[in-house]
Amino acid sequence: MIDAPLSAVSFAPLAVALPIFGAALAFIMRRKRRTQITVTISVLVITLCLEIWMLATVWGGGTYAVTLGGWAPPFGISMVVDGFSAFMLVVSSVVCLAVLLYATSQGMADGDEDGPVSIFHPAYLILVAGVSNAFLAGDLFNLYVGFEILLTASYVLLTLGGTVARIRAGTTYVVVSVLSSMLFLISIGMIYAATGTVNMADLSLKLAEIAPGTQTVLHVMLLVAFGIKAAVFPLSFWLPDSYPTAPAPVTAVFAGLLTKVGVYAIIRTETLLFPGNKFSTALLVVAGLTMLVGILGAVAQTDIKRMLSFTLTSHIGFLIFGVAVGNQLAMGATVYYVAHHIVVQTSLFLVAGLIERRAGTSNIDRLGSLAKLSPLLGMLFFIPAINLGGIPPFSGFLGKLGLVQGGAEMGTPLAWVLIAVSLLTSLLTLLTIARIWNRAFWRKAEDAVDPDPLLLVGVGAKRGATYDIVADEPGSKYSDRGDSALLPKGMLAMTGALVLVGVALTVFAGPLFDFSDRAAEQLLNPGHYIEAVLGSTEGNSP
Amino acid sequence: MLLVLIALFAVAGIAPFLFRMLGRSTFYVLAAVPALAFVWLLANFSSFIEADQGAASGSPNAPPVQMFNWLPSLGVHLDFRMDALAAVLCLLVLGVGALVLFYCARYFKNEDPHTGAFGAQLLAFAASMFGLVTADDMILMFIFWELTTILSFLLIGFNRTRMGARRSALTALMVTTFGGLTMLAGLIMLGTAAGTYRISEVLALAPELTRMGTYIDVAIVLMLVGAISKSALIPFHFWLPGAMAAPTPVSAYLHAAAMVKAGIYLIARFAPGFHETAFWQPVLLWLGLATMLIGGWRALKQNDLKLVLAYGTVSQLGFLVLILGIGTPNAAMAGLAMMLAHGFFKATLFLIVGIIDHKSGTRDIRQLSGLRSSSPVLFVVAVIAAASMAGVPPLFGFVAKEAVYESLLEHASSNGAPGMVLLLGVMLGSAMTFAYAARFLWGGFARKAGMKPTPFPKVPWLFLAPLLVLTLATVVFAWVPGSLEAAITPYVGLFPAADHPIHLAIWHGFTPALGLSLVSMSAGVVIFVARKRISKVQAMVPAYFDAERDYKLIITGVDNLAIWLTGRTQRGSLSFYLVVILMTALVLPTVVSLWLQTPAPGNLIAFDTPAQLVIGCIMILGALGALQANRRFLAVLMVSVSGYGMAAIFALQGAPDLAVTQLLVETIVLVAFVLALRALPVELWSKNPTGHRLVRALIGIGFGASMIYIAATSMASRIADPISLAYPELAYTGGAGKNIVNVTLVDMRAWDTFGEITVLAAAATGVASLIFVRGRGDKTLNAALVPRGSVDHGSEAIGGASHSRSGMAVAKNFAISSKDSWLVAGHTLAPERRSITFEVVTRLLFHTILLASVYLLLAGHNTPGGGFAGGLLAGLALAIRYLAGGRVELAEAIPVSPGTLMGSGLALAAASAVAPLFFGAQIFTSAAIEFSWPLFGDHKFVTSTIFDIGVYLVVVGLVIDVLRSLGSEIDERSEGRSPTDTHDLVSDAETGVGR
Amino acid sequence: MSTNVTLLIVMGVLFAVGIYLLLERSLTRVLLGIVVLGNGVNLLILASGGRRGEAPLYEADLGAEEYSDPLPQALILTAIVITFAVTAFMLGMIYRSWAISRADVVADDDEDLRVSQQSTFDFEEDSPVPEDTTEFDGDEIQPDTIQETGPRA
Repeated sequence: MIDAPLSAVSFAPLAVALPIFGAALAFIMRRKRRTQITVTISVLVITLCLEIWMLATVWGGGTYAVTLGGWAPPFGISMVVDGFSAFMLVVSSVVCLAVLLYATSQGMADGDEDGPVSIFHPAYLILVAGVSNAFLAGDLFNLYVGFEILLTASYVLLTLGGTVARIRAGTTYVVVSVLSSMLFLISIGMIYAATGTVNMADLSLKLAEIAPGTQTVLHVMLLVAFGIKAAVFPLSFWLPDSYPTAPAPVTAVFAGLLTKVGVYAIIRTETLLFPGNKFSTALLVVAGLTMLVGILGAVAQTDIKRMLSFTLTSHIGFLIFGVAVGNQLAMGATVYYVAHHIVVQTSLFLVAGLIERRAGTSNIDRLGSLAKLSPLLGMLFFIPAINLGGIPPFSGFLGKLGLVQGGAEMGTPLAWVLIAVSLLTSLLTLLTIARIWNRAFWRKAEDAVDPDPLLLVGVGAKRGATYDIVADEPGSKYSDRGDSALLPKGMLAMTGALVLVGVALTVFAGPLFDFSDRAAEQLLNPGHYIEAVLGSTEGNSP
Repeated sequence: MLLVLIALFAVAGIAPFLFRMLGRSTFYVLAAVPALAFVWLLANFSSFIEADQGAASGSPNAPPVQMFNWLPSLGVHLDFRMDALAAVLCLLVLGVGALVLFYCARYFKNEDPHTGAFGAQLLAFAASMFGLVTADDMILMFIFWELTTILSFLLIGFNRTRMGARRSALTALMVTTFGGLTMLAGLIMLGTAAGTYRISEVLALAPELTRMGTYIDVAIVLMLVGAISKSALIPFHFWLPGAMAAPTPVSAYLHAAAMVKAGIYLIARFAPGFHETAFWQPVLLWLGLATMLIGGWRALKQNDLKLVLAYGTVSQLGFLVLILGIGTPNAAMAGLAMMLAHGFFKATLFLIVGIIDHKSGTRDIRQLSGLRSSSPVLFVVAVIAAASMAGVPPLFGFVAKEAVYESLLEHASSNGAPGMVLLLGVMLGSAMTFAYAARFLWGGFARKAGMKPTPFPKVPWLFLAPLLVLTLATVVFAWVPGSLEAAITPYVGLFPAADHPIHLAIWHGFTPALGLSLVSMSAGVVIFVARKRISKVQAMVPAYFDAERDYKLIITGVDNLAIWLTGRTQRGSLSFYLVVILMTALVLPTVVSLWLQTPAPGNLIAFDTPAQLVIGCIMILGALGALQANRRFLAVLMVSVSGYGMAAIFALQGAPDLAVTQLLVETIVLVAFVLALRALPVELWSKNPTGHRLVRALIGIGFGASMIYIAATSMASRIADPISLAYPELAYTGGAGKNIVNVTLVDMRAWDTFGEITVLAAAATGVASLIFVRGRGDKTLNAALVPRGSVDHGSEAIGGASHSRSGMAVAKNFAISSKDSWLVAGHTLAPERRSITFEVVTRLLFHTILLASVYLLLAGHNTPGGGFAGGLLAGLALAIRYLAGGRVELAEAIPVSPGTLMGSGLALAAASAVAPLFFGAQIFTSAAIEFSWPLFGDHKFVTSTIFDIGVYLVVVGLVIDVLRSLGSEIDERSEGRSPTDTHDLVSDAETGVGR
Repeated sequence: MSTNVTLLIVMGVLFAVGIYLLLERSLTRVLLGIVVLGNGVNLLILASGGRRGEAPLYEADLGAEEYSDPLPQALILTAIVITFAVTAFMLGMIYRSWAISRADVVADDDEDLRVSQQSTFDFEEDSPVPEDTTEFDGDEIQPDTIQETGPRA
């Protein structure tokens, strides 16, 4: 008999299968654009509902395993739902859904009839499937497959439209990703050579028994492979060259999710495969460098999307910091911070997309007057921006607070250095975003170094008349669409929705922190995981 | 308490909407909120000050508290506590807040579009300050602390189009946030040590905490950095004059009554518990004194009235910090009294400047003249406020300053020389205060020689009202200081009782303090009178200490460092990134494996079969050949050699499925390579300008060697039996198949395969996307509509077959004569492109290969093969047909679009995966169905075959997609015309989703 | 378990060659490097299964350890396919890159180069700014009036 809480979790593979099925339908119905959009959206909504149901099941604690095809572990492939994975699934699906609606609205506004939508939608769904698969994978090789699913889809999305810049960025991205996959695969080969298994719960037991030297080598190799995906210093340089050129929704979802999948894998490596936080010191150093080099990179940039890409890598350092500290407080804060960072970074990239749309550029030397032209846009930028900067009371601050508290609890000199570095990083993040704000939003467009014409048109005319003047320009891209084409309501609404999700992370921080605390407890005691997977042949175990 | 907070924030939230309806009169509504809160505060005042200030929250005689759980796992709670100190601060925050908002209603123009947001921010600021002083949780307090920072950033930047305003806002943000974050570290240290973040508990634990020594000393000094940055002490003082870019009401509120008082509050809050820690007094007393003097000195040379006040504020803040830092009960009394006095007079003075600026259009001393006679009321108000600032009796400023002198005398008597220095320093500072107060009055109101009176319209009473209220407070409390003393006394009670407690009074008799007051005032008169001479001296003395310049240097330094470091790391070169990654992946594991004890490689066998050795050598040669090959296709072929070698190795190693698959994949890859690269130049760019051949070779060899070693040690580490030992039995009994690998792929590890075909579908989409750019280009082509001999005209035949003249003649003859071509669309091909032999062979082979592929698919469960190999074989058949008959032939051969094929394959696979769920089984559970057909005998059908059919379809779809994209589409482009595709390459480059 | 030296050495050579090619600037060679690396990885996984055995086609009288290890074979099959997919995709990229910019080399990122050479002087933050002595001459009095010239230096 399958009782209620178990049945939610036994549907876990659907979180992957449904988007793939949706992608299949999207392939078949590529001519009917409306249908395709409907299919994509409904698939994501259903998936999200399912994942919320799963999260509700594991909210109070408990780790569940699903064995695919009913093959007893460790022989078949297992999927594992615990607090962390369920939480990541829900957060990623919320973000994906919001970005999809944003992209749809953008497509509608641009009137793309036969556009790349027929590629975008299936590729997007496959991306979602890959991300979900990576979160659920209880099998190391299946984790590799999950990565490959999401990576291949991401190659497609990143090169969408095939412009010179995107091909260039795509080359960097694809080659680095392929190399990281190769390294991962090599690690899997080595691990199989050493243990004869690929099931992660089984590995957790068997890796502990082999020679300590080999353990450490394998551990390092996995971390390097995942470190590339997570964009940890010095493996992070590819990211700022790759992300910013993609279409705004694509960059947004990449920035939010893809590196986090790498972080997720690192967390599993550190807690399940090689528990004991053996690399604490090394990871602390790496975390500090990731933060500093990343944020200094952001300070040097003049393009908003590139700045955001650098803050992205910089803040991965916070997550690694949490993993390196490795006590329950820090781990719980890391779980929370991952969710925060996914939501906030995605919202900011969506806002950057809106800025680019409204102003024709995302280079701050060419921007100005945005707060006057669209106060709403100003708010949509400001809230997630200070959230990213870790300014109270938003989730960025709370997550950072937890991390710093965890570091303080650790109390070693290096941990204190890291606390200082993380606070300095927050300060420089604030500098970056305040500069964007001052220039792009407050400064008059005419005062910019090289203002974009799209901003200048209508300056001096009566407010509200701006768009009419744009419309009068012959050949203007927005000539017949006016206001709603510059900033389509749907795009604003979806950005706003994500910003609100970010705020909700603050408002519901109490229960969320309680939950992430439980999730951290599960992570730090791999026994739960192992018992769930190997403990019973039924495949499900509370 | 919480209600007040919520009301303040809520009204701030709706303020912009109110402004839309009511215009600037909304400020009256906004002012009413803190005013009502003020009334509430007064009505309940006794309950705040009568409580036992040191009592733990929750005990019966404790000050009123409201506590809510928020983040219990982080130890953060929403605790609010209204004790005497908080209540005194709230008087200022709410009272001055209400008055300033009231004043704003006349200050701003009605039509200013930004006032909505402005009003909201100002009220939110009041709310944040209220929260800050009532918070009984250090983290909660910090949250409000930073809220005030952000709001002040927005308020200072109100005149956003002015570069100076933006820059000042940024400076203020950076400096105060720097302090705030440092403070956060201190608070967390403190909280970690105390085990609680509740301020009242931390203070109760202070005696034990201070015994911890250095740790707490450091925590406290970090916390104080926050206080002194917020209260604009040296070396952070420079942001405050810069912040004068804000509208004057903001200056009046933030920089006189509210924000800067946050630091004062923090010092006052923690003084009872921690004033004895090692760094407390040195930091606060000497920085306070220095700030007081430097602020006064700078105030004396300003020509902008607002800047006179701004530097005056800096000076006064130093003064306040100094007093409260002393940490005696008398100093606490004096300090809080002085803080209130400062709030009254400094807010008034700023509001006066606002009115002057508003009415005359300038604040420059050199342009103002004769305001005394044109606005006598304003002048009287100004005199009272300035006199209070200067410590002239009988005003509240004097009362407070008397108390200060008394406590300083007390401090000096017990601390010897340093105490005396402090006392003298304060006297000098007070003299300068007097002097700049006089300068303010003179500069703002005097009739200056040789200047016409500045035109000055009448000031409406509504505009003046807030000033009058504040002035009233300055005057009245001088005579009845008892009520304020009563409010402060409970806070003073937190310190150990003083021997001679002081009282606030306008007349203490002829005390030494009075003497000091008189001396400093006289000195002030001298300084003011000698102002010209002093300003000459000031012009000569260079600014030895210019923190603002240092701040700029730091920021520029950060920028330089950022650009330098980013230039070093973010090279923009893919090879560089790869080298970094590879070096990491090479060095770390190698060092670790050499350093740590790993099992020595053992149980070595040279080779399994001699053939293996031979093939291995061939593969190595192929790989090395690829290194040397200068021609594109030669390099591809060399790589293929090692690829086909893989197939042979697989075959030898007992992996027939792999061998078959590798063979097929290698072939298709070869075809794809040839198709895609035919447009590119033949020569590879072998002379690489960035070279580094040696580095690359070393990295490659190093990596290879390292991986060999690690692989060998990993294999030597194996102690457990592999899980795959169970596979044969599982596959046969559980999966109902004899081909263990196939059962693994479609059943045991079907999820991997499911993922893998998803990857295929995505990649195929990607190829189509890159070549067709806009959409998958799924348009069907009908051979009947394509003119004969039109396709591939003029382009070189694939494979580079050269036609002899006679051969060409035959071909032409063949092309024209054959009514019924061997291939459906053969006739569409240009004559010189056709090859009879190829077409005939294709005709014969095509269906045979297709049949074989279906056999591979269906038999795969028991013999080598499977959906993947089958699909590839079918794809190969199509590839042959394409090569023989051209792109139209391909379209004719398979009328279904690849998208549909892949979609159905994927859908089929997904459906077969999910279907068992509806029968109550796990996803991907397979079932074997046995049945018998009359002619064919008994059969066993395993449901996982359905899944394999899905795989088959996806693979066929992929191959077609590759052929159509890299084949047909590129053909069309090289033909230079395109019946189905109307866009050219250049415009493609501009398109894409969004930008 | 036994370690097959030949397989490992071939693997090592493939890795070395693959990486050498990967670090080239020519996209075609980079892709060939990936293909070669992929083959090397597959050899590694194959070697991790131990010594050769019977083809894993079930026969009732054969012991489990007589077969060559089927699990690595399944993994390799998946890996082959994935490498194949990536190869196809990259071929598309190479063609596209050639078609739009006639480039077969990996170009450097222009923005990175620009950033590393920019000056730290910043007009917004480093230019001298006049001191205002009033708030009432700016556009907050008349926000809609046309400003003929901005305060540009």
